[in-house]
Amino acid sequence: MTTTTVNGRVESLPDDPDALLIDIVRDQLKLTGTKLVCGAGVCGACTVLVDGAPVASCLMPAQAAAGKAVTTVEGIGAAQLHPVQKAFMAHDALQCGFCTPGFIVEATAFCDQWRATRGTAVPSREEIGAALSGHLCRCGAYDGIFRAVADACAGRFDGDNVAAPRIEARDKVTGAAKYTVDINHDGQLEGLILRSREAHARITALDLAPARALAGVIAVSLLGDDKIVRYVGEPIAAVAAKDRKSALAALAAVKLSYEKLPAVVGLDAGRKDGAPVVFDKASRKRAGNVSEAAGGPAPWKQNIRGPTAVFSTRAKKARSWVDEARQASNKLLVEATFRTATQQHACLEPHAAVARFDGDRLTLHASTQQVFHLKEQIAKRYKLDHDKVRVIADHVGGGFGSKASLGTETIAAIELAREAKAPVRVAYDRQEELSVAGYRPAAELKVALLPSEQGGLKALSVTAHADTGAATNSTIAGLARLIYPAEAKELSDFDVISNLPPGAAFRGPGGPPMAFAVEQSIDEAALRLNVDPIALRKRWDPDPNRQRLYDWASGLDIWRNRKPQQNGRYRRGIGVATGYWLYLWQPNVKVEVAVKGGRIVASTATQDIGTGTRSVLADTIAREFDLEPSDIDVRIGDSSLPEGPGSGGSRVTASVMPPTLQAVRKLKAQILEQATRKPAPGSNAPWRELIARSPDIAVVETRGEDGKNTAPGIRSPLREVGLIGMVFGWMMRRFSNIAVGAGVPSSVQVIEVEVDTWLGHVRVLNVHTGIAVGKIASPALARSQACGAVIQGLGYALYEARELDPKTGDVLTAGMEDYRIPGIADTPEIDVHFDEAGFDHVLGNSVGIGEASTVPTSAAVANAIHNAIGVRLTEIPIRPDRIVAALKGRDAA
Amino acid sequence: MSAATALAMSAPEFRAAGTDLSERRRSGLSCGEVIDLAASPDTIGIAWGADGAARIGALTAIAAIASDARLAQAYPGIAAAAQGLATPQIRHMATLGGNLAQRSRCWYFRNPQIACLKKGGSDCPARTGNHLYHVAFDLGPCVAPHPSTMAMALLAYDAKVTTDRRSGLSITDLLGDGSNGAADNLLAPGERIERIELPAPLAGERALYKRAISRSYAEWPLVEICVRAVISGGTFQQVHITAGGIAPVPLRLKASEAALQGKPADAATIAQAAALATAGAKPLPMTGYKLELLTGLVRDVVERIAT
Repeated sequence: MTTTTVNGRVESLPDDPDALLIDIVRDQLKLTGTKLVCGAGVCGACTVLVDGAPVASCLMPAQAAAGKAVTTVEGIGAAQLHPVQKAFMAHDALQCGFCTPGFIVEATAFCDQWRATRGTAVPSREEIGAALSGHLCRCGAYDGIFRAVADACAGRFDGDNVAAPRIEARDKVTGAAKYTVDINHDGQLEGLILRSREAHARITALDLAPARALAGVIAVSLLGDDKIVRYVGEPIAAVAAKDRKSALAALAAVKLSYEKLPAVVGLDAGRKDGAPVVFDKASRKRAGNVSEAAGGPAPWKQNIRGPTAVFSTRAKKARSWVDEARQASNKLLVEATFRTATQQHACLEPHAAVARFDGDRLTLHASTQQVFHLKEQIAKRYKLDHDKVRVIADHVGGGFGSKASLGTETIAAIELAREAKAPVRVAYDRQEELSVAGYRPAAELKVALLPSEQGGLKALSVTAHADTGAATNSTIAGLARLIYPAEAKELSDFDVISNLPPGAAFRGPGGPPMAFAVEQSIDEAALRLNVDPIALRKRWDPDPNRQRLYDWASGLDIWRNRKPQQNGRYRRGIGVATGYWLYLWQPNVKVEVAVKGGRIVASTATQDIGTGTRSVLADTIAREFDLEPSDIDVRIGDSSLPEGPGSGGSRVTASVMPPTLQAVRKLKAQILEQATRKPAPGSNAPWRELIARSPDIAVVETRGEDGKNTAPGIRSPLREVGLIGMVFGWMMRRFSNIAVGAGVPSSVQVIEVEVDTWLGHVRVLNVHTGIAVGKIASPALARSQACGAVIQGLGYALYEARELDPKTGDVLTAGMEDYRIPGIADTPEIDVHFDEAGFDHVLGNSVGIGEASTVPTSAAVANAIHNAIGVRLTEIPIRPDRIVAALKGRDAA
Repeated sequence: MSAATALAMSAPEFRAAGTDLSERRRSGLSCGEVIDLAASPDTIGIAWGADGAARIGALTAIAAIASDARLAQAYPGIAAAAQGLATPQIRHMATLGGNLAQRSRCWYFRNPQIACLKKGGSDCPARTGNHLYHVAFDLGPCVAPHPSTMAMALLAYDAKVTTDRRSGLSITDLLGDGSNGAADNLLAPGERIERIELPAPLAGERALYKRAISRSYAEWPLVEICVRAVISGGTFQQVHITAGGIAPVPLRLKASEAALQGKPADAATIAQAAALATAGAKPLPMTGYKLELLTGLVRDVVERIAT
């Protein structure tokens, strides 16, 4: 038997030639700080040191570590934190934290080697980018990582002081933070899903008996009652066994017969007359939902659902004015067709659930954006008492909208665990995560924009067809109603359904594609009107929050020194774009703020998907009591706590902050009332003394309505559009438990790019992002979110595309090497400007940042590319193939 | 799954570092016997002959090739190619022999559920399907580009391959001409690469390597090239240009080489030679862009060689 040393302890290695180093570390030694993400050496989440050198443990055969010394993230800060760990904490170089252990391991090796040879010289961004090029972060924490690694190398974190703006940062940099995939109960089984290999078929027989005949195997059917599968990857059955290998064998044993049905794949084929119909009338309720809220009624014929055109205003006028302008060859009429790509969420922690029954009580660990609502959904589906179901998510490795429903991973884990009478884990592999776990639908957008002769906006027409797969309810064009008022607007949304996995909500659903098309059209109008693009937006867009952002943007040096289109091989350009999202909050959210054992404890059943919810609560309460955030215990991620909001629709901060502040006020009064001794006169920490001596008191407050007094021009955007808006708002509240508040969270971005016209490469040099989301509750974390939003937006603009087989719909980009998310070296300098006004009517004055901040990025990049090369790229991602095609036949350098 | 596909996937395989094989084992694409290769003095490390020629053992890590100062001096194109591929963790583990013998990165090949020529199937699903990242020189039934960056660089140096059975193989002898769609190389079953022999460097030769990708790092090349030349008396001599990412095997760009040979090292000559880089190209419907990138790369790299 061979051995290796792991974190200083001698450990035995199995003889199995297929055992990999990560299996030893995670499964045999339970060192779960090391994460399995891509399984292909692309993302670096599994990085460990072998004899001091970073290696991808997901590829290294375990036997190759024989006689060597392995150090995992747990071994790095074991005695005392490494300067790199302290620097990551201080610079908030992490969000969800799932990639963080890999980055920490690599960065400590880089830093140690750098210090040994270069002393405390500061490495450049290029040197850091190259050293960390084998790591990926989906939240986009790269800006903080650059600063953290540079400062650690420079010796600025050699001392003992450890400060972190994110309260759980220490757990994330040491690998101690437990995610759903890390849960390992005694006797836990591993579950896998059997998925359709056909794009469209009727399952005529499903025989689970051969699988069940294998020792220790549990199998359940996941088929719907119509027994039809509508895309490659649709779940058919689930099996569980003692380990993955046995579960794979069980999957292979399941016997299946089916009758193939004609299939149709994608936006263009799905729209054709006579295309095979995916959902007949009886089965339409089986379609998924690509939005954050439930949808309204819409016409639905064959595979086309729509138009949804309720946000149009004087649609016929808009159409006739555009037709007239076209016939008159009006030079001001901007018309174009834009195409956006399917964007995968690509969460680094896959969709995962671990279900365990103790008698009739179910405990479910889930990688979810909604612990409370998921509990309610499970209780309803399985007819369980609400207090017999508990959903736990201590840490969630990214969500971005894809983990906001009761998904197959959860259903399979529950049903297998119930059948097995043993705990079961179901965790998607990367292929599943990048194919069937949801996506932002691709879209085709036809835009016609007509300025008036007086320089106003006369008509805007947007028709969007979204590639929603086995799902519906895309709203892209409709979002163009709430910005740039015009004399008439015709806004039509269509879902094109086909035999592809269902899309899902993704960070500002519909917002980025709308902005990509409309913001480029506005840019084009500015060119034709010969008006500065920011000045034109200022003229056409009266929203008071954005008016302030336009003033900020037009004052930027980079904007004022903008040059016309350039020549030569490398050409630089600067673009601007605007984005917004609705201010949403969740009624009935409750927060408990209590004194327990002389400490302040805040509790609510929400969760932190990397956005910083714990810190928002701790920082807010600490400010009120004049304490440090570390003095506050925050309890979230557990459905047994008071009802909390789902992490979607940028609603968490605006939902929890008001009841928290109300609860703090009441708690203060009760502490004073029950105090037997007043604080010492002149005490500089009166509340600390009072709290330490206070008996246990708990106050629970519910999110109330906002104040009616708003600043000039701040109104509910839905009220602004009249009756249909009010109906829409009522429906959101009634059916989706989401309230639409007054004021519009907004972002304006100015981006500089450099285009290599020979190799088609676009380099983003710098980004200025101005954000108006009210008062910033936790500045360092808000900055991290703002930067991450830009980086995800750059991925959308330049790199990310789901590629399919055109006949079967097989997702070909089902690994992280083919689905290309931005890396650290693709990260530009990012300047974040917060305009903190505009939400004084909200208690605490803060609303969410997550979505508004990512909406304009792709359009600003495209406008910058147009400024550089004089060609408008109407299709994203703007990859090298598209740049060279756009430039072909033109005067290249 | 057909019997032929099952047979192809259960063939025994050698394992050096496992950076390619481990992924294929996990996905089920490789499920036969694994034979670990043990290093011997003859198969690991860089040795130098009296004439200044290098010999590189097949189990030498890519990172060792990338960081060897003498190699970078004598064969800068090989060192630069080693520095430019994959990621730091992969370069640390992966070996030269493994890089040459790795399997295709084609997204159809990598999906164990889809039959293809390289898995015992009867046709190439990429050809009629989605081949965005595939060949622009359509030389055979399979349209996946060869994945080995090192093979492309070694081709520019007329390197010779020694296996446990044969010696003196050129890169073309090793990988073929692209007409065999069923294999990624022409090694016999059970045959393994032992070392690579390089000819002595030419006096005054220069070389550069570059890949065109969409991001900054860590991406399989859309197109990659290695250019090697002597510039003497202001003219190009001994020009070798090889390209990867565009054909089932690494290619010599002979028309571009000929257009430079003996000509003045100036921008006009280079632009002409770059335009000839696509001679003989047969792009697929989705890969025409690779020809623009190839032209741009040749112009870029040869210009830098000349300055």
